Amino acid sequence: MADESIFDKKKAHRAKHAGRKAEKKKQKTKVDQSNLSARQRNPKAFAIQNAVRAERQFRRREDVIAKKQHIPQVDKTPLDPPPIIVAVVGPPRVGKTTLINNLIKSFIKTNVTNTNGPITIVTSKKRRLTLIECNNDVNSMIDIAKCADLVLLLCDASFGFEMEIFEFLNICQVHGMPKIMGVLTHLDMIQNAKTLKTTKKTLKHRFWTEVYSGAKLFYLSGLIHGEYLRNEIKNLARFISVMKFRPLSWRMTHSYLLADRLEDITSQEMIRRDPKVNRDVVLYGYVRGVPLMKESMVHIAGVGDMKISELSYLPDPCPLPSTEKKRHLMERERQIYAPFSGVGGIVYDKDAVYIELQGSHSHKREDELTNEKKALLKNVVETTETVDEQMQGSGFKLFSGGAVIYPNMVKDDEYLQKNNKTADSESENDDSGDETDSGHDSGIDQNEKDGKERLPWNNSRSESENDVDEKNNEEINDKSDDESTDEETNNGDFSTKWKEKLSEKATEAYFERQKTSKNIMKLVYGAFEIGNKTKDQKDDTDDDTSDEEEIGGLFKKVTDSQKKKHKEKEILDLDECSFFYALNKPILRNWASDENKQYLIDSFVSGKRSNDEDASELLKLDDASDGDEEIYGDFEDLETGEKHVAEKDNKETGQKRKAEPTNFEILDKKLKLKAKFDAEYDNPDDHRIKGDHSYYENLKAEALKQSELNKSVFENLDIGLRIEVEGFRPGLYVRMLFKNMPAEFVTNFDSSYPILIGSLNMAEQNIGFVSCKVKKHRWYKKILKTNDPLIISLGWRRFQTLPIYSKIEDDLKCRYLKYTPEHVTCNMHFYGPITPQNTGFIALQTVNNNHNEIKQLGFRIAATGSVNEINKSTNIVKKLKLVGTPLKIYKKTAFVKDMFTSTLEVAKFEGGRVKTVSGIRGQIKKALNKPEGAFRATFEDKILMSDIVFCRTWFKVDVTKFYAPVVNLLLPIGEKSAWQGMKTKGQLKRENNIQNDANKDSIYSEIKRNPKVFKPLVIPKELQKGLPYRFKPKKNKIVVPGDKKNVIHDRVAVIKSPHEQKVANVMKMLKTNYKKKEIDQKKATKDRIKKHKKELDEIEWRKLKRQKELKKKICRQLSKMSNKKKPQM
Amino acid sequence: MPAVIENDVLVYKGSNFFRQRLLLATLSGRAIKIEEIRSKHDDPGLREYEVSLIRLLDKITNGTRVELSETGTSVYYQPGILIGGQVNHSCSTQRGMGYYLEILLALGPFCKEPLNAVLQGVTHSDLDVSVDKIKSTALPILLKFILVDDGLELKVVRRGAPPLGGGEIVFKCPVRRHLRPLQWTKWGLVKRIRGVVYALRVSPTMANRVVESSKGVMLKFLPDVYINTDQCRGPNAGKSPGFGISLVAETDEKTFYCAEAKSVEGGKGEITLPEDLGQECAQKLLDEIYRGGAVDSSFQWLLALWMSLGQKDVSECIVGPLSDYTITFLQHLKEFFGVMFKLEVQRSGSDEDSDDEQMPTAQKIKMTCVGIGYVNISKRTL
Repeated sequence: MADESIFDKKKAHRAKHAGRKAEKKKQKTKVDQSNLSARQRNPKAFAIQNAVRAERQFRRREDVIAKKQHIPQVDKTPLDPPPIIVAVVGPPRVGKTTLINNLIKSFIKTNVTNTNGPITIVTSKKRRLTLIECNNDVNSMIDIAKCADLVLLLCDASFGFEMEIFEFLNICQVHGMPKIMGVLTHLDMIQNAKTLKTTKKTLKHRFWTEVYSGAKLFYLSGLIHGEYLRNEIKNLARFISVMKFRPLSWRMTHSYLLADRLEDITSQEMIRRDPKVNRDVVLYGYVRGVPLMKESMVHIAGVGDMKISELSYLPDPCPLPSTEKKRHLMERERQIYAPFSGVGGIVYDKDAVYIELQGSHSHKREDELTNEKKALLKNVVETTETVDEQMQGSGFKLFSGGAVIYPNMVKDDEYLQKNNKTADSESENDDSGDETDSGHDSGIDQNEKDGKERLPWNNSRSESENDVDEKNNEEINDKSDDESTDEETNNGDFSTKWKEKLSEKATEAYFERQKTSKNIMKLVYGAFEIGNKTKDQKDDTDDDTSDEEEIGGLFKKVTDSQKKKHKEKEILDLDECSFFYALNKPILRNWASDENKQYLIDSFVSGKRSNDEDASELLKLDDASDGDEEIYGDFEDLETGEKHVAEKDNKETGQKRKAEPTNFEILDKKLKLKAKFDAEYDNPDDHRIKGDHSYYENLKAEALKQSELNKSVFENLDIGLRIEVEGFRPGLYVRMLFKNMPAEFVTNFDSSYPILIGSLNMAEQNIGFVSCKVKKHRWYKKILKTNDPLIISLGWRRFQTLPIYSKIEDDLKCRYLKYTPEHVTCNMHFYGPITPQNTGFIALQTVNNNHNEIKQLGFRIAATGSVNEINKSTNIVKKLKLVGTPLKIYKKTAFVKDMFTSTLEVAKFEGGRVKTVSGIRGQIKKALNKPEGAFRATFEDKILMSDIVFCRTWFKVDVTKFYAPVVNLLLPIGEKSAWQGMKTKGQLKRENNIQNDANKDSIYSEIKRNPKVFKPLVIPKELQKGLPYRFKPKKNKIVVPGDKKNVIHDRVAVIKSPHEQKVANVMKMLKTNYKKKEIDQKKATKDRIKKHKKELDEIEWRKLKRQKELKKKICRQLSKMSNKKKPQM
Repeated sequence: MPAVIENDVLVYKGSNFFRQRLLLATLSGRAIKIEEIRSKHDDPGLREYEVSLIRLLDKITNGTRVELSETGTSVYYQPGILIGGQVNHSCSTQRGMGYYLEILLALGPFCKEPLNAVLQGVTHSDLDVSVDKIKSTALPILLKFILVDDGLELKVVRRGAPPLGGGEIVFKCPVRRHLRPLQWTKWGLVKRIRGVVYALRVSPTMANRVVESSKGVMLKFLPDVYINTDQCRGPNAGKSPGFGISLVAETDEKTFYCAEAKSVEGGKGEITLPEDLGQECAQKLLDEIYRGGAVDSSFQWLLALWMSLGQKDVSECIVGPLSDYTITFLQHLKEFFGVMFKLEVQRSGSDEDSDDEQMPTAQKIKMTCVGIGYVNISKRTL
């Protein structure tokens, strides 16, 4: 072998390195430099030269990128968004109304005479605005802050910022900051140009500190003919129309609407009988935020929690222009809708509604519509004809009205149609023949209209029609009627025969079940009413059906509803079981048998894959897309004009068809590949050095995908069903009926107060204990006291409650505080509506707009904070010291009394720690029988009778269950801003001039101090004995204090003998002599010393004189000598 | 049967779906009243196991109010706030532990503190899903919604067969502020089959015989079949004899199907052959695989619940044919939360396949809903 290989070895090929061929090849392989990037052309220049610098650069770049990143949020703005709420806020008399009028004029070129309530206008092809003015009431300010998207904060420049503006900004910060633009007015009041400039500047900077630096502040320089300058307004309008908005977390979880129309539909008769009767009120508005669910509770700010008893949507009264391609809005598309202001057709007075008949075309149409609606409603209510008659009456109209057929609606909606009888309601709706009306029928009628239209996928149709026939058969047709899936659970009967049959039946049903393709939604949601229909209508139809039941007066047809009831009864008390085959065991298919196995084997990885997953299929596709197209495809010979068509072997393709990839499939695959390529290479950022941003990118992509899905998934659904599944999406104009509204809401209605209707999510209608962190506002003058009523604006609500402040200790215990601490947050508990965590709130002590009160308070916002936790009980404790005294003391045991009042109390504290004042610790052991409440305790040392024993415990403080919504909208006009809730005790006392009796100990009085009298010192006799004499108390010595001279010396008088007298005299004389002598001597000595001193002085003087002369001589000599020397020099 | 609403209290009739109603009431915070509970039965009123459920709910909530009528035929239930934390509950032996555990599983993510529940009772029963099934099938579903597994755990400490039980499990569940929306429209192909056979107070050979027979069936479809035997001894075997099997099929998209079978209770005269049991269970599993869908048919309702409790985004999942229990659950969801699912029958395969109408693959249903934006209101933020 080896030898052969040597022989077989051929000469290897050597490429040419020189010569013509080599040159050519070089030219060919040479890379074209022209379209290379700098980096590719010159890679060295981009290499890392300095590792440290590169690291720093990288780090900085990453920092910058990381700072830019925000948590991706799913974009929930609907395709046709609701109008943007632009609120005009400011203190009174700054020009709010003028601004609104000017804006409206600039947008839609019409003058509005009075502006009341929200005014909706179409401003551009994609944007509508709702302008609303905020009156000078803190309640309105709060409500406006909760719903406004954009706030125009007006300020009188000649006056400066007023307290209301700061209050409003604080409210905004707490409830989610809307976009804020400042507008300075009254600039013409400042004459001096320099003052004007400085004013502008200071105001701008003050505004920036409050909002953010760089916040937009507009200057409206003055009025001309009662209007602002046109250019300035136009500028402002332009800014408004390009404004972008950020989603706010509260509004992204709650739906809300600002009512712009109100109707009282209570029957006049009832009102006549009792003017205070609860009203049925209809409110209208655009849904905002998130989709509004049909059965949700809502809170109407200023009124209270309400249940929507009827919710339906209406055609948009102020629609965006159609999607026709053009640049500007046409004149008739610049619509305005403001019922409260009397522009949208209807004017509200105190007790009447006026409909304005003149106006532009759109208004007129609106009127017609509403009138029609009313007529329609009446029609429904006063139905007298039977269903059949109505059916006949509306028969042909049905088709004329139902010109628009949406096949995709039929697909999902037939479930609604339990029986044809519901048609009466629809047919009535059809009467109007209006396109808009048919638009909001729930799609059922569409189904009726094209009843015979059979869609390829809708096999079920025939089945359901067959149902009717089958029902006539006496047997309970469980099998085919899949509507009643419950039949399997049908073993209430206990006869054995039945039981035998049962499993058979179940098995049958089981096979049936798997084949079934009947409309599943009907099966599940058949019992509920769907779409815009109301309950009353449904009841009507029920009654009708009951009338029809009897046949020939003898037999009763078993109707659907009865059968259903029967079935319900059967499953009523069954055992609950979540298995697929709940209580009975059908005989399953034998999956192991070969014929059944084939259906199942593909569900395993070992089985055959579907076409788009199978590797071999994919390969085939690849091949097909690469080669086959070119080779076998059709082509045209351009020169000859001949057309060559690929030969198709029809016989073969008939069988092969499935395996061979079609053009469509290839195209599909190519698209997929393209998408993959795009995803990988189209992102230009990816070329740089990659940090680990994949996590963030994934999150972003996920959010984007979700938002796309949200928008697309229900797009083709019929609107009635869509609303049912998705809720009333934002942007729809809805009508909501509230029953049993307080009459005051209508009678005291004032359109200058906004009606904010906010929906409550799950569990938010409940009331519990809310724990939150709170900080007293640093501008508020007083500190807040525990259990003083406080008005809190939280979520949609404004309410008064009694908070308890506390501090969280290190062991997470809430310790009661009587007052809020200054400059730090503390905890607060109150009884109020359950609101999700992290929701912000503001607290006020009063919402009363009393001028004096405001002046006194200055800044009204007392505190701000956010919710921490919700619970159904609280645990706030306060320190408590129980004090007792020893009753009897043994060695280390003592009986203690007075600490407790009963044995039971002691029992609760057994094992508790006690302590004496002197610091001896002990433990409570057991209660004593005798003095009630006394107990035995042991201590670490013997205590004294004089010791006080105390036990330190915590006392639980309960939060008062008080919750009162601020119902300012119910107050009479003019008093709406004067809502007064619970008053503090102090307030009441001040008003009624009640003064407490002062504590006696606290009263100041003159201090009278008696001199201290000490007891005389008594020295015991025994001690006296032992004392040295001088310490012994001397007897009979009476000392009168303070009177030294009168010391009565109780001594024995001494009488001298003559000799002794003589001696004494002599001694006296001698003493006198001696004294005299001493004095003389002293005098002589003094003189002598004087004389001597004189002599000494003289000697000294002489000496000095001699020295002086000597000095003189010497000096003279010295000077002479110097003089002699000088001439020589 | 739709509920009647009397001043914001939902009024239901009958004892069936008691558990669903209490669960949804607890989550939604709405009060309910259930009337006519077995009012026409020989022993009317609530059963022991239902009372035990109420007790359990009372343990994991704060502020719950329950009013029973004297005869026990009507209950008023006003839910409190979910607390969770350490819970110890001895379940009624009338029902399996699955009856209680499913509720804890559904409520677990919404408690104030992470749930750590110890349950005693019957771990395997005919009426309820066994703890094995919940462990293998339901926990992965929850994991899809909470995404991060920080302490989701189910430990079977002891097994207990009916009628006396004696089993014990520990269930731990983390808390979440909200669930994420879920799109789950692919369930993939079955890639492996695992199983557990347990034998309590019976001869160990029983377990091996069950393994053999069930494996025999499953191997026809897939080579990757492993079945463990769990021979319990002493106190770990509970108080009653019994044996059973649970088989789990895992797909490559992390869907789990589970089937289980157990021997009949001792002393009833019937005898279960281990071979039959194995066969039966394997057949059930194949049936479950045939039905397909993203989740096991027993937990469709849990999927529906968590989908509807998600954020205000669209969730969509494809499941197999809806069980009766799920259908009523969907109706209850509509009543309590106002959530309506869009249900579409999914056409599986191309049109040609359905021509041979003998047996197409089982009907698949696409469930689409918008979450209600449920947030865990009990959790504390600091």
